[in-house]
Amino acid sequence: MIMKSVKIFALAAPLAFAALAPASAQETKGQFSKELIEKGRYLATASDCVACHTNHAGGKPMAGGLPMSSPVGTIISTNITPSKEFGIGNYTEAQFADAVRKGIRGDGANLYPAMPYVSYSNMTDEDIHALYAYFTQGVQPVEEKAPETSLPFPMNIRASMMGWNMLFRPNETHKDDPAQSAEWNRGKYLAEGAAHCSTCHTPRGVFMQEQKDLNLTGGQIGPWFAPDITNDKVHGIGSWTQEDLVTYLKTGRLDHRAQAAGSMAEAISYSFQHLTDTDLNAIATYVRSIPNPSASKASAPTRFDQGKAGNDLSGFRGKDYADGIKADHAGSALYTANCASCHGYNAQGTADGYYPSLFHNAATAGDNATNVIAAILYGVDRHTKDGHVFMPPFGDQPNTVNALTNVEVASLSNYILKDYGNAKLAVTPEDVQLIRDGGPSSQLVLFARIGMGVGAAAALIVLCAAVWLFRRKRSQTQTAA
Amino acid sequence: MTRQSNDPNGKLVMSRRGMLLSGATLLAGTLAASLCPTISLAAVDTGAQSRFMQLSSLLINHQLNPDVGARIAETATGEYKNFAGMLDAIIAIAEQKQAKTVEDFFGDIPEGELRDFAHWVIFAWYSGCSSEKRNAKVFTYEEALTFKTTSDILTIPSYGISGPNLWTRPNLPLSAPMPTF
Amino acid sequence: MVTKTSADVVIVGTGVVGVVIAEQMLDAGHSVLMIEAGPRVSRAEVVENWRNSPLGVKGDTSVAYPSRPWAPHPMGGEKPEDAYLQFSGPDAYDQTFIRYAGGSTWHWAGTSWRLTPEDMRINSLYGVGRDWAFDYETLEPYYVRTEHKLGICGPADRTQQWPQTGTRSAPYPMPALPFSPGEVKFTEVVKTLGYNNIPVAQARNSGMPYDGRPACCGNNNCVPVCPVAAKYDAETALHRLEKKGATLLVDSVVYKVETSAQNKIEAVHFYDQHKQSHRISGKLFVLACNGLENPKLLLMSTDDRNPNGIANSSDQVGRNMMDHPARSFTVTTKEPFWSGIGPVVNSGIMETSQGSFRSEHAGAYFRYNNFARNRFVTFAALKKGLVGKALDEEIRRMTACTADIVAAHEILADPNNRLTLSDKKDWLGLPKPSIHYDVGDYVRKCWEVYSQPIGKQIAEAMGATDIKISPKFNNSKHIMGGTIMGKDASNSVVDVDCRAHDHENLFIPGGGAMAAGACGNSTITMVALALKAGDAMVDQMRGA
Repeated sequence: MIMKSVKIFALAAPLAFAALAPASAQETKGQFSKELIEKGRYLATASDCVACHTNHAGGKPMAGGLPMSSPVGTIISTNITPSKEFGIGNYTEAQFADAVRKGIRGDGANLYPAMPYVSYSNMTDEDIHALYAYFTQGVQPVEEKAPETSLPFPMNIRASMMGWNMLFRPNETHKDDPAQSAEWNRGKYLAEGAAHCSTCHTPRGVFMQEQKDLNLTGGQIGPWFAPDITNDKVHGIGSWTQEDLVTYLKTGRLDHRAQAAGSMAEAISYSFQHLTDTDLNAIATYVRSIPNPSASKASAPTRFDQGKAGNDLSGFRGKDYADGIKADHAGSALYTANCASCHGYNAQGTADGYYPSLFHNAATAGDNATNVIAAILYGVDRHTKDGHVFMPPFGDQPNTVNALTNVEVASLSNYILKDYGNAKLAVTPEDVQLIRDGGPSSQLVLFARIGMGVGAAAALIVLCAAVWLFRRKRSQTQTAA
Repeated sequence: MTRQSNDPNGKLVMSRRGMLLSGATLLAGTLAASLCPTISLAAVDTGAQSRFMQLSSLLINHQLNPDVGARIAETATGEYKNFAGMLDAIIAIAEQKQAKTVEDFFGDIPEGELRDFAHWVIFAWYSGCSSEKRNAKVFTYEEALTFKTTSDILTIPSYGISGPNLWTRPNLPLSAPMPTF
Repeated sequence: MVTKTSADVVIVGTGVVGVVIAEQMLDAGHSVLMIEAGPRVSRAEVVENWRNSPLGVKGDTSVAYPSRPWAPHPMGGEKPEDAYLQFSGPDAYDQTFIRYAGGSTWHWAGTSWRLTPEDMRINSLYGVGRDWAFDYETLEPYYVRTEHKLGICGPADRTQQWPQTGTRSAPYPMPALPFSPGEVKFTEVVKTLGYNNIPVAQARNSGMPYDGRPACCGNNNCVPVCPVAAKYDAETALHRLEKKGATLLVDSVVYKVETSAQNKIEAVHFYDQHKQSHRISGKLFVLACNGLENPKLLLMSTDDRNPNGIANSSDQVGRNMMDHPARSFTVTTKEPFWSGIGPVVNSGIMETSQGSFRSEHAGAYFRYNNFARNRFVTFAALKKGLVGKALDEEIRRMTACTADIVAAHEILADPNNRLTLSDKKDWLGLPKPSIHYDVGDYVRKCWEVYSQPIGKQIAEAMGATDIKISPKFNNSKHIMGGTIMGKDASNSVVDVDCRAHDHENLFIPGGGAMAAGACGNSTITMVALALKAGDAMVDQMRGA
């Protein structure tokens, strides 16, 4: 079983609109054309539906059942195969469109925004039609019920999403900007919609809404940090060429610069690598046009060019291991013992670059240490045409290579940061525990409960819960084989 | 922390002999030069450790890590009563010959204590150990020079060589060039 | 601190046999308690122990695994009188094994040759040794399960698989690993002699992760430890077993097996590292300490009903000790071979283990050792007194142009090759094992008339300028015999499910049960037997 992580945020908002829309449509469906179904399949890939709606440990495609952990309980993805009993086989196209674009399911209940309908809301009717064709006639029905999601109060009141939707859900489909090229417009449509880049890469505001004025400037996603991908040359990916970005989206890596892990590894595995070069170029064109509002004026080191090769081995080689990991060289000794067998004793990686160097590596030189810690605790898991890239985890998973303690991970992270990455950062054992727990959590659920308890401002603000998809922390709780 | 270079494979490609023997002549502008351990040693040139690195560089015409050298010197100080005297004696022989390489002067080191000590220094750098025995002191594993002589084709055991199943390569003839190290 | 004192299934030993059965029983819903004599350490520590060891002893597989006082195991460099294993007879049974959580697969090469149908009927076909109690086809499904359980890679091409006879009902889960330049060249050379050097089936992740473990990245360090757990070793299963609910007691040395009035096993007793004794009861008991510690424990556990030791009414416990006696050819060649790229054992000639000659003498398996040669040649090059360029070139030449070929021989089950309890005591006061061993004429004749001539022929074909042959038979650390399997309770210890003839709830799976071991490494067969025993145990629990 693979467990994803999702964050749930509750926020104050009207709760007065709980009403179920009737599921009334009884439209009969004809046979869709093969071309239309294939178009839908491609759009479903671009939208990465399979990442969440399939239990990747042995589940059937789109049959749901993938548990996604969150601070307030486990959300389980639903069966979206055309099974009439267990899936969406009874959905009319209008119901389907509302589910995808508005987060309202066939029975009128609200979806949790674990489903990125905020992004999908830009999809054209034409593309919704193709997706509908695919999901009704291109997917094998799976006659299995995915387990119900059952969240604690107040998160279990799905209607609480209505207020949030009113405030933060865009309700307009994509319109081309005539001042921009067709490629740019296509890129915007995909990047902001199906590919839902901003879901992770745009920071969230106080109501956990995407802060559009900080579009793509980086956001915390559970235990990982989705970095700044604006065209800022220092903090973003302004130093990348168009070809670099396309290569990254296809392969999940750029030699001596960056590798996809966490949610991005899944996005590469299930989605980006399968898109056409034309669409990847379009996405790259659009993403590379997004500025950082606080763009760096001066040139400065980037997260791609820090640190250098070296080692601290003479401090402990030939001596007792137990002494080495306790003394001044603890971080270095932990590095050599746990990491160097693949990443090299000078952190130089293998000569072919398959195992990356840890210097000149975005993972170790970001503006925060999140991804260093997360990579250690959760490893890397990415499927591409060139094979299955897998770094084993060093957390408490059944397949951990070595269940490192918080103190050890902190010590190791600090060694890596200091000598190979962003030397300005420091990691504490508490930081490690936070990432181990799935990343920073919101107190909003608690606030909502307290707020309800005291009845404060009840007329206006009662409750709204939002679930923010943070995609794909793989916790290998039962990675069976 | 011993910095080696910015090269991803950590290989230095400059000769260090010239620098040492000409008295800390800087090779203009190379980053590698600024990281080269011999510069500071040639400049400081005080104390047994620096002398030991000077001797080591005379005996071995390759990049040597001064941190490893310090470990070897520490053991040598304990094991060789006349350590400092032997350092001076061998260095003097080399200087007298204006030696640029070990081949220039090694034959002039007299048989006996001095020659044995010179061999031991070479042994320590190449094997990373003080002896062949079970109770040998270990100065380095990864930077033992034996592995540098084959670094173009073999990994240092326990360290990965390449991506999964990507290590297929043609047989390398003996005429292939020696790696630079 | 003992947290539990009883379980449905009590398993003594945490090596591959123990963990495979433990997982089977956990998955079937039974509680499992495992008892390990030695410590539990991290892979990181083992790897660093090895890197911290002197170059001259890096070939000693024990160097990374210092034994604990209460759980001694053979360590290199010991004086014979102080050593844990005591020897008598013409040959020394000086095995290497480790008493650590995870057991000796920590340092196995991962080589996973199946037995052949003929190997298991050696007495019927050739009139020597002992037949197995069942045939190859009975074992075959368990081999398949083992290959998938451990993650054994091997060639898809049937002509490159072993054995050539008998069924193979499923392909390997992963492809064979690529050859080093030396292996490619060796394969070409022996082909001119008519031999087929085939990829070793090995428990190593080939080109992909498997079972939550990463792919092999060619660390060339399978022995004594895979630094990344791309090679299967039983340590990789321990954390998973605990997540499934197993209780694992370490530093706990079982010294007595207790029987009930019905001569069923009632409990086992162990000493902790403070010499305090504890008792663990259960329904089914598994001794999974392989062919040396199992017979030792059985012989130590005497009572009125079992005066010769547990499971020993046949007097076969401790007898029939087997291994694969090995001789090595260290060959210096004119042209480079370049061993040492990829896993340390990656190819071999198996067909020389088979033939009608087996009525006269043993067969042999020829293996090309693929260790990087630096550590074998550096001291020799330094001793030549070379300096400068000449030294560099000599090390490089010797690394490239030397190779080790090993001939591993088939030994016959011989009741005189026997483990008994020594008068000498270990730290806890328990008797050390003493082994009388003679490789026998069957092996010696093979060496004289068959394996030595073939080895020399191969060496010459390789372009040898020098051949050094090991002066005596070395041990392959493939401990077999000791609790031999048979249908007849009067001359064997365990039945076809590795259940003790004498005790219906005692299982002793592993190498000790093997009636014949041919030339191929024994672990895959040990695990197949463990899975078969596990099936029988699940059935038995259902009936219980």
